[in-house]
Amino acid sequence: MHKAKKIIVADDDPAILDAIRLMLEFEGYDVECFPNGNGLLDMAKEAADLLLLDIWMSGTDGRDLCQQLKQQESTRDIPVIMISASHDIKSSALAAGADDFLAKPFDITELLDKIEKNIATN
Amino acid sequence: MKKSDDIPTIDYKQIFEHSPAAKLIIAVDAPVYTILDVNRAYLMRTNSTREDLLGKSVFNVFPASPDDGISENIALTIDSFERAIQTKEPHTMYDYRYDIPVRGSDKFEERYWTTTNTPLLDEHENVKCLIHSPVNTTAIHKMEERAQERLFSILMQAPVGIGIFMGPEFRVELVNPPLCELYGTSPEEMFGRPVFDVLKHAKGMGFEELLENVRITGETYIGESVSVPIVRKGALEEVYVNFVYEPFRENDGSISGVIAVATEVTEEVRIRMKLKEAEERTRLAISATGLGTFDLNYQTNELVTSTVFSEIYGFQRQATRDEYLKVVHPDDLYIHQLAHKHALESGRLQYELRLVWADKSIRWIRVEGKVIFEAGQASRLLGTVLDITDQVEAKKEQQKLIKLVSDSEELLRNITSAVPTGLWMADSDGSVTYINQTWIEWTGQPYEAHLGRGWINVMVKEDRRHIASSLLQAARSKTVFEVEFRFLHVDGKIHWAVASGSPQYNEDGGFTGYIGALVDITDLKHLQQQKDDFIGIASHELKTPVTSIKAYTQVLERMMLKNGHGKDAELIRKLDSQVNRLTKLIEDLLDVTKLNSGKLQFNDRNFDFNDLVRELLEDLQRTTESHILISELAPTVTVFGDRERIGQVLTNLITNAIKYSPKSNQIIVRSTIVCNEIQLSVKDFGIGIPKANLGRVFEQFYRVSGDMQHTFPGLGLGLYITAEIIKREHGRIWVTSQEGKGSTFCFSLPLIKENT
Repeated sequence: MHKAKKIIVADDDPAILDAIRLMLEFEGYDVECFPNGNGLLDMAKEAADLLLLDIWMSGTDGRDLCQQLKQQESTRDIPVIMISASHDIKSSALAAGADDFLAKPFDITELLDKIEKNIATN
Repeated sequence: MKKSDDIPTIDYKQIFEHSPAAKLIIAVDAPVYTILDVNRAYLMRTNSTREDLLGKSVFNVFPASPDDGISENIALTIDSFERAIQTKEPHTMYDYRYDIPVRGSDKFEERYWTTTNTPLLDEHENVKCLIHSPVNTTAIHKMEERAQERLFSILMQAPVGIGIFMGPEFRVELVNPPLCELYGTSPEEMFGRPVFDVLKHAKGMGFEELLENVRITGETYIGESVSVPIVRKGALEEVYVNFVYEPFRENDGSISGVIAVATEVTEEVRIRMKLKEAEERTRLAISATGLGTFDLNYQTNELVTSTVFSEIYGFQRQATRDEYLKVVHPDDLYIHQLAHKHALESGRLQYELRLVWADKSIRWIRVEGKVIFEAGQASRLLGTVLDITDQVEAKKEQQKLIKLVSDSEELLRNITSAVPTGLWMADSDGSVTYINQTWIEWTGQPYEAHLGRGWINVMVKEDRRHIASSLLQAARSKTVFEVEFRFLHVDGKIHWAVASGSPQYNEDGGFTGYIGALVDITDLKHLQQQKDDFIGIASHELKTPVTSIKAYTQVLERMMLKNGHGKDAELIRKLDSQVNRLTKLIEDLLDVTKLNSGKLQFNDRNFDFNDLVRELLEDLQRTTESHILISELAPTVTVFGDRERIGQVLTNLITNAIKYSPKSNQIIVRSTIVCNEIQLSVKDFGIGIPKANLGRVFEQFYRVSGDMQHTFPGLGLGLYITAEIIKREHGRIWVTSQEGKGSTFCFSLPLIKENT
């Protein structure tokens, strides 16, 4: 068995965090949850195979985080999927360096497809 | 030459004796005047012999003729002698009568003479005698007399009045019968008397002065149609006379009197006046259609009135002036009095007043008239009367109407000023012709500033083109006009307004322009904004729990499937599909909000149209088991647009087709390429749309109301969003339908996309 892939999830809504964790852990991923951006960058540096970032978080804009990640040498290669309640955010998310985008509410199959696809690409 | 003694001695006595001029030598022994000598010529001229005369007093041998009572020849001659003696100068008497006695009888011969008495002086310069040398002028005199008689006889027989008035007293020298007739006198009464002693009644009227002026200055005076008072047959009459006063000159040119030539023109003047009167009366009569006429004699106060006049005053017969006056409204009597007083000064009568008829009804009349003056005296008043009751009533009614109109105008003005709505009018060219006070107050711009195309200037720059073209386009197509715009309010803030207008037509159906309203929708806009914001936030907030619900549901479903609880998992799957419906509703709400606030974003790029259609058809086919989606696609094209939004359109149309055709089992999706457009139609065989609702299906909140068995859920937003997306992608959308047979929704997208 290879080591479980580590996915960092950031969302300011605890219910979503909880549901995603349930979902991903059920699918066999190692999941680390953040209710905001604090400490996320350090954690990402240590070990992360993929980041799942909400765009609207109280205090932090997911796109800023994404940009920082993509500017840091150590985190540049970690794929980032951004999620938002608004379809219209998609283009600005991609502009901020996100590798993929998903609109809320999403279908679980869709999410898993995107995760697999991005980790595989990486 | 002969010697002086050769000249024979001249006998002067002989020369005296034979001179052809009659000569008498008279002694200066007044008062006798003895005849000292006489020559033959004298004796011949006087039928005398030397013995008759010599040594005798001249006045004894030439006594006064009893036939000659007027010439005073003796006194005249004595006077001449005395003058000659006194002045020692010759004195001449001209053309005077001195009759000569027929010797041997008591008869006389009438003779006229011109005689010079020459004094002869002695060495002491004393008059020693007089040479009396008469020239017989009888023949000439008689000739003159005859001529004068002829002249007089001509004057006397002349058909015009001729008189000669002599001296400062204007003694009548001559007056012919026509003048006597004119004066109402006889020649006997007048001859030799001062004229104004006879014509006493004409004294002091200025005629004396006229005559005197002519006598003194010699200037002719001509009088025309002059009124002269004359006593005829004992009664004073006024006659009219044309006359000429000319100076009467003596032989030596001096003026001794005045010749008056006069003709009576009374008849002509009367006729002329009557003619004038008749003309005046005719004129009045001509303008007298419905006019009553009257003729008032000022002297007798007699009033002659026409039948119409009587009728207007409410009488069946002609009445007296007093009777007519009694009908005049008591309050209007002063009008009558003032008007008549004024007429005597101006010659014109004009007034309007009320009459009160016997039956107490009030009638309005207008009286007009003209005063006829004779010899400077108002003699008659001719006039008309017109019943103007109807006119006055009509005028009153008109004034009432004018008042009403002006009242309603004022009311309208007050209303238009008071309404919290701007009002405007434009002509058929879309040029503004009116704007009300409210709009003036909102914009703070004066009335004139809005007229024509000026109104556009109060709008914010970005909206001007849009609204101007909207109005012009509406005016061209004569359609109802409605457009929203922003303008700078007098409070300094930008306000929102909606301008609406209805085309106006005149009675003939011609398009005259627009009347419309301007409503300040700033508050509405704010509310709408708040609503949009609220819905936006609400939808966003709703999505968050829905996202977690959906996630939990799907995890649960997977867990149950994994743990072999297939039936339970089916339940969860149903829960998930309900969550999907909820998601769709939230999405629609969010989209509508964005559409209304202009915030719906489009990410236009090129994409393969058939790819999109096939992809969506596959997905949608998976969601339905009841319907088969049949596609008949034209060869693919590249479309420039927002792939996801256009996909949303297609999804909406197909899900609607499925939803509204529960009893059929196929949906046909067909694409064609027509004139640089890709057209796509979605055909169902469902309930269809009633004709009346066809035009409304793309409106916001339009919902299909099914029968009792079939109700169709939804917010009524789907087709609205669909249509809006197509519009913003520069395409068209339309629908054909037959109720009970099904509907076909079509949209088109341009293949050559404008780069906007």
